[in-house]
Amino acid sequence: MAPDPQQNGTVEKSTQPPPTKEPKKLKKEEKKDEDLSEEDLALKQQLELYVERAQDSDPGVQKLALESMRQEIRTATSSMTSVPKPLKFLRPHYGTLKKFYETMAEGDLKRYLADIISVLALTMSEEGERESLKFRLLGSVEDIGSWGHEYVRNLAGEIGVEFQTRQIEDKPVDDLMELVKQIVPFHVKHNAEPEAVDLLTEVETLDLLPDHIEKANYKRTCAYLTGMASYMSEVDDMQVLDIAYKIYMKFEKYPDALRVALRMDKLLLVEQTLVSCKDALELQQLCFILARQGVTFELEDHMIIGNEDKKELLQDIINNSKLSEGYLTLARDLDVMEAKTPEDIYKAHLIDGRASAGANVDSARQNLAATFVNAFVNAGFGQDKLMTPPPVEGSDAGSWLFKNKEHGKASAAASLGLITLWNVDDGLPHLDKFLYSTDVHVVAGALMGVGMLNCGIRNECDPAYAVLYEYVGKEDPAIRIGAVIGLGLAYAGADKEEVYALLSPLLADSKNGLDLIAFAALSLGMIYVGSCHDGIAQAIIFALMERSEAELGAPLARFLCLGLGLLYLGKQDAVYASLEVAKTLSDKISKYLQVTLELCAYAGSGNVLLVQKFLAQCGEHTEKGENYQSSAVLGIALVAMAEELGSDMAIRSLEHLLQYGEQNIRRAVPLALGMLSISNPKINVMDTLSRLSHDSDVEVAMTAIVGFGLIGAGTNNARIAGMLRNLSSYYYKDPSLLFCVRIAQGLVHMGKGLMTLNPYHSDRFLLSSVALTGLITVLHGCLDMKAIILGKYHYVLYFLTLAIQPRMLMTVDENLRPLPVPVRVGQAVDVVGQAGRPKSITGFQTHTTPVLLATGDRAELATEKYIPLSPILEGFVILKENPDYQQEP
Amino acid sequence: MGQAHSAGGSKGQQQPGDRKHDDKKEKKYEPAAPPTRVGRKQRKQKGPEAAARLPVVTPATKCKLRLLKLERIKDYLLMEEEFVTNQERLKPQEDKNEEDRSKVDNLRGSPMSVGSLEEIIDENHAIVSSSVGPEYYVNILSFVDKDQLEPGCAILMHNKVLSVVGLLQDEVDPMVSVMKVEKAPLESYADIGGLDAQIQEIKEAVELPLTHPELYEDIGIKPPKGVILYGEPGTGKTLLAKAVANSTSATFLRVVGSELIQKYLGDGPKLVRELFRVADDLSPSIVFIDEIDAVGTKRYDAHSGGEREIQRTMLELLNQLDGFDARGDVKVILATNRIESLDPALLRPGRIDRKIEFPLPDIKTRRRIFQIHTSRMTLAEDVNLEEFVMTKDEFSGADIKAICTESGLLALRERRMKVTQTDFKKAKEKVMFKKKEGVPEGLYM
Repeated sequence: MAPDPQQNGTVEKSTQPPPTKEPKKLKKEEKKDEDLSEEDLALKQQLELYVERAQDSDPGVQKLALESMRQEIRTATSSMTSVPKPLKFLRPHYGTLKKFYETMAEGDLKRYLADIISVLALTMSEEGERESLKFRLLGSVEDIGSWGHEYVRNLAGEIGVEFQTRQIEDKPVDDLMELVKQIVPFHVKHNAEPEAVDLLTEVETLDLLPDHIEKANYKRTCAYLTGMASYMSEVDDMQVLDIAYKIYMKFEKYPDALRVALRMDKLLLVEQTLVSCKDALELQQLCFILARQGVTFELEDHMIIGNEDKKELLQDIINNSKLSEGYLTLARDLDVMEAKTPEDIYKAHLIDGRASAGANVDSARQNLAATFVNAFVNAGFGQDKLMTPPPVEGSDAGSWLFKNKEHGKASAAASLGLITLWNVDDGLPHLDKFLYSTDVHVVAGALMGVGMLNCGIRNECDPAYAVLYEYVGKEDPAIRIGAVIGLGLAYAGADKEEVYALLSPLLADSKNGLDLIAFAALSLGMIYVGSCHDGIAQAIIFALMERSEAELGAPLARFLCLGLGLLYLGKQDAVYASLEVAKTLSDKISKYLQVTLELCAYAGSGNVLLVQKFLAQCGEHTEKGENYQSSAVLGIALVAMAEELGSDMAIRSLEHLLQYGEQNIRRAVPLALGMLSISNPKINVMDTLSRLSHDSDVEVAMTAIVGFGLIGAGTNNARIAGMLRNLSSYYYKDPSLLFCVRIAQGLVHMGKGLMTLNPYHSDRFLLSSVALTGLITVLHGCLDMKAIILGKYHYVLYFLTLAIQPRMLMTVDENLRPLPVPVRVGQAVDVVGQAGRPKSITGFQTHTTPVLLATGDRAELATEKYIPLSPILEGFVILKENPDYQQEP
Repeated sequence: MGQAHSAGGSKGQQQPGDRKHDDKKEKKYEPAAPPTRVGRKQRKQKGPEAAARLPVVTPATKCKLRLLKLERIKDYLLMEEEFVTNQERLKPQEDKNEEDRSKVDNLRGSPMSVGSLEEIIDENHAIVSSSVGPEYYVNILSFVDKDQLEPGCAILMHNKVLSVVGLLQDEVDPMVSVMKVEKAPLESYADIGGLDAQIQEIKEAVELPLTHPELYEDIGIKPPKGVILYGEPGTGKTLLAKAVANSTSATFLRVVGSELIQKYLGDGPKLVRELFRVADDLSPSIVFIDEIDAVGTKRYDAHSGGEREIQRTMLELLNQLDGFDARGDVKVILATNRIESLDPALLRPGRIDRKIEFPLPDIKTRRRIFQIHTSRMTLAEDVNLEEFVMTKDEFSGADIKAICTESGLLALRERRMKVTQTDFKKAKEKVMFKKKEGVPEGLYM
């Protein structure tokens, strides 16, 4: 390589020197020649000769010259670090060749030359000229790959830009499309699927993609497409996902297709997937995916042609009837069936001396905390040591129940529902006895318990509705609230007409107390989550209009707003009409309602504009009493959590809010942090929360402690548990803070560490809107700790039930019996767009199923003996025997 | 000690209870939050902005997905900026900060004495010692970042009560800081005659991984960690390293092997450690160790303590090159004349993946070198460099340079303005004479 600095430099700046400098340049040129080694010199002269000959009048000579020039260029191998020599030596002649090209007569030769100029333009044309493309279009239409992939890549880039300009100028793009059709197969064939996708998105014809994709590369392509979807604007992402769906369907990868369809939230496509899927086993797997997503889906005969006889089984799977059984199998396998008491969680013996002797503590508060801890820890196990044991001789039934005061009893009774979660048959008898109690609070609690028990489960005989139906019309407001909440929990996301008919009159009746209609609105919002139901929206808005200013200022009014918001959960623009109406409402609530509506509508969308808007709102300085800012803080978290990057960046932004924000903003920040890394104890979030949990503002400390509970929910994280223990001794004299610490402890040990609250599942690809509903509700409840959680509405915490899911991988055989197989579990690695076949997990350990998966974990089978029917090993996965498997000798 | 502990503990924990009663009064002192960890300092913190680091973006290949992701990050950063500027405009914090700072300065007092932290007892007490005198049990003031404290670190103490008022950020060993090349050397790749293959190899192994890591990821390989340049004296090893330093924007640290040999036991390995730590902090960076044979010779039964120390220094170097801790963007260039005497462990793939030989120049290269050196000389018409180029003697690049310089000197001596062929001839003989240790050329053929 001739080390002349000028030649070594970057290639873009190489233009023809202006004519005035010509002589000087010549001199330099000569000198350069001297510097060249012999071979280079020979090559250079050779090329110069070709250039001269190419301008010859004799077509034969011309042809020969062009032919050899082309040969030289093609055979030139180069290092990564420098421009190939022939291209370098031809640079001074680029202009000459171009000029000659103009004068040439039409014909093969002219096109031939155009090809060469096009390649030369790769390094020589000026930025923005796109000459490479121009001459390519003028040249012969031969195989595009023959000039190497660097050329193709460059061409693809120029096409993108050219397409844009032509679009603006409204010119036809047919010739470009011809070229695109050549380039895409080239990319696809050469392992550069991302580039093919990029090119097609540039020229807005992604629909061409499925034709080129083959069995060997559909996975990579679709992974790239779905990866891109999270970062695109609203309409584009749907298009991209649609293409991914088509590709999956083309290769009959129904589970993948179903995931994409669910991501798009299009039931039509879900149905289409089910119709196309003929294999009975695979159909069952699809049903498991549907069940995890929490959609209510009624199978019809035409959807499962050929498998009609299995309909009942399939519907059972969708109805989540297997969930409890699977969960208990997991628990038995991990040997954690033994019920735990709250004291087992507090581990008071680990705290230095005096904490256990907290004498002057409000014992009712303590007992209430114990009730919650007990419920969370033993959730789903069907047994505990406080509520379920048969009454000991001489004491009355449910003695623990009566250690709680008034509304505390409601929570205590309801906790039975959580303990027997998902297990309708065993749970109902437990709750049944409380329904006949004379204490209204106990009845109310039992009604909530019935709802919780049926949370996410659908049953043929619809026990929840049958039980709760009559209590809605009762006299006592406590009982009615209990029934309303129960219905909301039981039918969240079910769009159940009967419940609408039952609850909507409550909203219209102005005689009802604010609390009743607030919970009625909330329940309706949950049941019709994301449906944009007009009737309910109007009913809630009317209710908001009718209420007095004072009532709208009350803490519970936020649930009215939230109920309306939930109707539009994730529906983005559909919220517009209600948003306009919200602006006309009383000042007291208008702003809050607007923020809540937007927060719900764009939750999980990753829309940066919304984050910007919320941040701006947090930056405003308000008079006292305005509370919309805290909701805006939650909004940042809910919108940004859509993808990893956004949530990481949002955590950064929240730091600024802590620095500049006023008290009401700071109070919401820990909750937002909790939402951003829910059930995912990240160290940096933990550090921030630990700092905030000692804040001088009591409410900040409270939300920070609850935030601990959220980030550690169901993880048994020892570090968080230790911090909470220290906090419990730090705050041992303050019953309110201690209550929060206890709740957080309960959350961290939720389901003895087998649970997660993360609404994202299926490799963080799908968002379960029902789970999100529960989380948003609890977060809003926590915004006003003193009035709601520490007041008499602590049962709002039970809305977390909606988000509770076992974080397990359960492999089952064809008959849906548990099948233990070895699996590798490790930290998931982002492999989208990576070259080769990189490992998708790192730092793995091999376990035998069923196993627990933490957030960010991924599993893969460690044996070849079986083939999983689902691409993502989470929840229930059906395994099929591998026909090609050979036992190792 | 145990008593002190419990006393301090209960005092710290008493306060929240007390606070309840004081709520009505003026804002009372709040006990600071306990540090998240006590003891070892957080490692792996690059600079003060560790928490503010941006998330990693995958894939590294140029593609739309990457673009979208980077844009997303940019969006968030812009929003942060907007928010912060707005807030600053609304209520400037500078005055407040200024006030706080002067308050802190008051508390710290002046002058402060420097001591070292012996032991951390609890959240706000520690045992310290100053360079003279006994150890003290003192308070740690609340504004000291306790996460950064670790036993053995240098701290600032109040001049009277000796409480810990600050800590000295870990200072880089001045020995290492001088190794950093602040001013790029003048030699560029253009000043190297020939060595095309070597230049290409070093570029691929050292420069490209730092500037275009995605190329390697595309193919799916890990870029080489380092290269060793070896060959006869005067063949341009150091020159090439200089050219790398000239052209790269990465931090360039250069050491000579002999610098790593220190007077006191353990200082050599410590210096190596420090060197690589600095390189890691300032990454992307290139570490160039010239004359590596000073420390890297084969291990054998050493008789003197000095030899053992040298070997230990090399062992540390081995560990730093490919040890337990991953080196990120640190590339290593070694140079030596005597590769055969180096320890094989040093050269195994994974530590030094590429061995680049620097041969004596062949005819073509010799011509280039002559051209480079004579390009700025005024030559007489009769000078025919080809004669020297084609000669059978073994010249290294340095010899050629010496010939040119010598001939110039000869011309100067005779007050001529041009260098003639005879000058060159004489110069050549002189240089060859010296090279062959006093045996005149052509005497014993």
